[in-house]
Amino acid sequence: MSEAVTAHRVDEFVAAISQPDAPAVFRDGLAAYAVDGLLPEVAVTVTHTDHVRLNLSEAQKHGLAVIPFGGGTHSGLGNVPTAYDIALSTVGLDRIIAHEPADMTVTVEAGVPLATLQAVLAHHGQFLPLDPPGGGGATVGGVLAANAQGALRHAFGTARDWLIGVKVVQADGTLVKSGGRVVKNVAGYDMGKLYVGSLGSLGVIVEATFKLAPLPAAVAAIGVTCPSPHAAAMLLFAAHDAGLALHAAELLSPAAGRAVLGDARWSALVRVAGRARAVERTLRELREIAGGLRATYDLRDPAQTARAWDDAFAPGALSLRVSVLPRSVAGAIEEMEAALGGAAALLSSTLGAGLIRARVRPESDAEAGMLVGAVRDIAQRHDGALVVEAAAPAVKRAIDVFGPARPDFAIMRRLKQALDPSRTLAPGRFAGGL
Amino acid sequence: MQSLERALGRERVISTPDELIAYEFDATIERGMPQAVVFPESTEQVAAAVRVAHRAGVPVIPRGAGTGLSGGAVAAAGGVVVALTRMKRVLKIDVVDRVAVVEPGVVNIDLSRAAAPYGLYYAPDPSSQRACTIGGNVAENAGGPHCLAMGTTTNHVLGLELVLADGEVIEVGGHSRDVAGYDLTGAFVGSEGTLAIATKIIVRLSRIPEATRTLLAIFDQIDDASGAVSAIIAAGMVPSALEMMDRNIIRAVEPVLRCGYPLDAEAVLLIEVDGLEEDTVEQAEAIDAICRRHGAREVRLAREAADRELLWAGRKSSISALGRLYPNYYVLDGVVPRTRLPDVLRQVYAVAGRYGLAVANVFHAGDGNLHPNLLFDEREPGVTAKVLDAGAEIMRLCVDAGGSITGEHGVGVEKRDFMAWLFSGDDLYAMSRLKTAFKAGEDFNPCKAFPTHAGCGEVTQAQVRRTAAAIGPDLYV
Ligand SMILES: Cc1cc2nc3c(=O)[nH]c(=O)nc-3n(C[C@H](O)[C@H](O)[C@H](O)COP(=O)(O)OP(=O)(O)OC[C@H]3O[C@@H](n4cnc5c(N)ncnc54)[C@H](O)[C@@H]3O)c2cc1C
Repeated sequence: MSEAVTAHRVDEFVAAISQPDAPAVFRDGLAAYAVDGLLPEVAVTVTHTDHVRLNLSEAQKHGLAVIPFGGGTHSGLGNVPTAYDIALSTVGLDRIIAHEPADMTVTVEAGVPLATLQAVLAHHGQFLPLDPPGGGGATVGGVLAANAQGALRHAFGTARDWLIGVKVVQADGTLVKSGGRVVKNVAGYDMGKLYVGSLGSLGVIVEATFKLAPLPAAVAAIGVTCPSPHAAAMLLFAAHDAGLALHAAELLSPAAGRAVLGDARWSALVRVAGRARAVERTLRELREIAGGLRATYDLRDPAQTARAWDDAFAPGALSLRVSVLPRSVAGAIEEMEAALGGAAALLSSTLGAGLIRARVRPESDAEAGMLVGAVRDIAQRHDGALVVEAAAPAVKRAIDVFGPARPDFAIMRRLKQALDPSRTLAPGRFAGGL
Repeated sequence: MQSLERALGRERVISTPDELIAYEFDATIERGMPQAVVFPESTEQVAAAVRVAHRAGVPVIPRGAGTGLSGGAVAAAGGVVVALTRMKRVLKIDVVDRVAVVEPGVVNIDLSRAAAPYGLYYAPDPSSQRACTIGGNVAENAGGPHCLAMGTTTNHVLGLELVLADGEVIEVGGHSRDVAGYDLTGAFVGSEGTLAIATKIIVRLSRIPEATRTLLAIFDQIDDASGAVSAIIAAGMVPSALEMMDRNIIRAVEPVLRCGYPLDAEAVLLIEVDGLEEDTVEQAEAIDAICRRHGAREVRLAREAADRELLWAGRKSSISALGRLYPNYYVLDGVVPRTRLPDVLRQVYAVAGRYGLAVANVFHAGDGNLHPNLLFDEREPGVTAKVLDAGAEIMRLCVDAGGSITGEHGVGVEKRDFMAWLFSGDDLYAMSRLKTAFKAGEDFNPCKAFPTHAGCGEVTQAQVRRTAAAIGPDLYV
């Protein structure tokens, strides 16, 4: 489509949504909405679900492509979009609609910052156990769309395990919901599962209901430095098998050990949490297990280590996520360290989930491309998969950041076709260019 | 028929009325006679049977053990029932990675038995676990007493092999949660057998906890028991199980099983905590104190495994024990926010009372998942209509309290006309797009889960539809 035609359609779109009590439209300050170096023609900020509906139905009518925007902390995710006309910022959808402390559920609009939500919940001794690194400014909607996750993954799974209801505006502007506000509910298909991690490609999340977890009474952090990744993995497996009270259990590469624990060796970083007696017992046993492995056991400041880990693993210039079976983690992370070591790579694995994160600072796009290839080979050798979570646009353009298409891709393509036939929503960004 | 026999072999197909009669119903009062039932023993045979039916334009109905409580496995519009009960091998138990791969006909408890030697178990434990299949559990997103802390089936299923409505075989998900693309596994779980047939299931296994403590709290007032439930949750505890049984359940169970539920109590709570030894002691003490503060006249702690099993025996056979009080019972399944339990329970008794029906409640109180059982004798003229009407009113109570019409048994045939109380036409249309994505046409397990049209004309359905309309207006929450 020629630029003039697009500009004309954008003008028509802007005219159509410029009604009283309408979403606000911007044509400047667009750099804040860059995705893979692409800028939108306009940015729209909304404060009401109806604005989202109007925006999408008009965008669809005018053949324009929309990318929903939360806090922008994970905007590096996904393939380079094939079109990007409108940035739709949901940060103005910022109401906490209902928090029922005694029911342990909360309903929020999508633009509520995760940090704000956690502060409100903490007041009542509760939390939503999702802690994406660098997620300080992330919105609830963004965390869902990106399926962003941190070290709590070990004990609490992912957003899919906590989301119990969701409202979404579809490409044609209709508002639909699935689930509800109760913790157990099987009425209707569980559409919420599809929106988690969909990068806005199926609909714009406007409201979400979660079940919540109680904040632990006591928390401690332990760093254990080990002679090898295999020793660190053995410690983590042993702790896991003993059913110890762990909220997080990460295996760190030497560079990550230096960044997080100030000690440049392979190490295990464990967050112990629970009621007082469980925490005491867990600390005692961890010390014994570490002793048996000739590893050094250190009590750390939990808040400070959590912050350091968060800083180290916030999405960076080149962020990779490898998924293998837990048994393969030690081998795979050792090979990744060897392949990436020269590029100041930080590696951290949620061992129980078989997840390995890498933050790499390559010197050039050419080097980045090479490293991605090397890590993809390692993942495949271990029957695993690689997702490139952030990379320079040139690096991304050469690959599918989600890896090769899976056997069920045909179902995904039909799903996208059924829910967004006009390809209005983040076209090209999702797996397989959906 | 011949093509089915050709595709699968004669010994895997039944089609005479005598043989078919056992497959006319599940554990509900819904009925529907299939033209044939097939018993495939492999994915290829499932695919072959589905292809034959697809070409003939005949409905396909997947079926596990037939313990479903919403009519999901009933051939509501005739067709070919694909019974998965002969596909019952545990294909793999991976101890290090805590993953198992099973065929769909594996009985729930058999998986936990197979994993037990490794210190592992499969967490979702529906009360029907001695009979129901993992395939049926996946289709219904089955829950169970221990789902409060451990989550329901959906939290434990990682991947699936599926036979689609046209016979195509496809894998979704995998051995981990982190496969790229949409979470089709998550969308499939709880789809009530309306999207495809699961022929292989990859599940997470969990570590058998080091210690378990089981308490029985005895109450003279049912409101006090409900209050204790809320207080335990509000105190930041997540017991592994938190179950309530009311007076009618106690009276059905106790004389036979002698599990120690006092006959003069109004309600008992069965509460379990597990984890590290020290932690279970700490939690049990706290829960004991909360229950007493909320009016429990007595709290007992089961010390030995045998005592624990006895307490659970009463819970797990509650529903079947009801047969001793009345010839028939109708199990309802609704959910309310936990804080609404006392008031909704009161209304449940009031509704039953108004219809002159006895009601017995046994349920997953910690999740707010109610199971009122309406007790009746079907020989009494007109009683079935009364039961269905009372059931519909109780479902509406749950919706009005901000809850749902089903927490674990599914919508099935039974409740599809209540869906409009929860979902708008747009919501339902969006959900129907998932069928398109899976290529599940009109003939794939028709008349289930969503409000539908003609061709599904069972007797009970007409009644339910009238009642739903009478209770209306549609409420969109
Ligand atoms: C006494 C009693 C107690 C119960 N307690 C509980 C409880 O605590 N929690 C709970 O959740 N449920 C409970 N149930 C309900 C029932 O046991 C569950 O819904 C169970 O999951 C059904 O499994 P099934 O193998 O009997 O499936 P069926 O009844 O045979 O089928 C159920 C649905 O699953 C579909 N289906 C079956 N196999 C497959 C497959 N391989 N692929 C695709 N679709 C398939 C069918 O089409 C149907 O829609 C109870 C039932 C009884 C009778």
